[in-house]
Amino acid sequence: MASRYLIAVSIALVVVSLSFAVAYGALGASVPLEGLRSLARAYVTLAYAPWNRTLTVMSPEAVTSIVWDFRGVDTFFETAVLFGAIIGTVTLFRGIKPSARIGEGLSAIARSAAAVTAPMILAVAAAIALHGHLTPGGGFQGGATAAVVALVILVTFSLGYLVSGLSKERALMLRSAGLLGIAAVALIPPILGGIVFQNQAKELSQFSYPAYIGGALTSGSLLFYNLFESLAVAAGLTLTIMLLLSPHEVVEEAVRGEDHERI
Amino acid sequence: MIEPVNVALGLAALSAVLSVIATYLAVSDRDLLRALIFSALQSTAYAIIFLVLMAPDIVLVYVPVAVGIYPAVVLALIKRVGRFEGGEGGE
Repeated sequence: MASRYLIAVSIALVVVSLSFAVAYGALGASVPLEGLRSLARAYVTLAYAPWNRTLTVMSPEAVTSIVWDFRGVDTFFETAVLFGAIIGTVTLFRGIKPSARIGEGLSAIARSAAAVTAPMILAVAAAIALHGHLTPGGGFQGGATAAVVALVILVTFSLGYLVSGLSKERALMLRSAGLLGIAAVALIPPILGGIVFQNQAKELSQFSYPAYIGGALTSGSLLFYNLFESLAVAAGLTLTIMLLLSPHEVVEEAVRGEDHERI
Repeated sequence: MIEPVNVALGLAALSAVLSVIATYLAVSDRDLLRALIFSALQSTAYAIIFLVLMAPDIVLVYVPVAVGIYPAVVLALIKRVGRFEGGEGGE
């Protein structure tokens, strides 16, 4: 019982001290902050600036501009860290074959609801990913949303149903295709005489991805990065969920088999 | 007349209070499944706060991760370690 009081008191202390700090201007006097720093001002004003073609990203979405253009290499390594973790999971669970046996799943009502909502979630995910250069969102957000579809199918139908449509190998292949796509989009500019991760033409290097395709604003490489990133994240997270939610017996068997070999 | 900005900040404040209550319930509950649901509730409150603080990019990644994928992964963990903290039925 004492531990409950301890938890309550410590949470209350954190809340009170944080509120005190914020009330006295720890985050600045107003939300959002007034008076941008020069770097932030440059990011916001240069994100979409057709009158300054050698410095702009040609994307009205400042966040995606920073993520895939201004700080593109940061995002590349961030993606590498995430996929390191996913590769670790896949290696840890390498003996497991998610069974293709299709189970019963939940009731007909739940399954019908899932069948209706799953394509809708997928559509929203595609919109988030492919409009990432125009509106809030982007590859990671869209990919994570798409992975929820796999989760919904796994819970309402069964693991076997999900695996029958998207096997472990196919998920791995999709994830690799996404990563290779990101690498290709990043490496095409240096091959054609530009700079790694270059998007629009710069003063010193004239290479440029098309800012408009068929009259629609595509912001050069941002659309491709978002597309491939969403593919890689959706497949990677689906794969992780698939392996982590495999039946206990299958995991036990795979792990025990390893031990026997070692002895 | 209430200023629209105050309505938005009031919503954030309400969500903040809700998140504190949900956090307390999530930490103190011995039924891990219920704790997980409280944790997702806390995440939803945080998502509203992020939206009010004009970070829609974070909201879009926070909602699927915190309400979809994270509970699924923790659910897999709960399935392995058992639903109740400190053995069946708690203390």
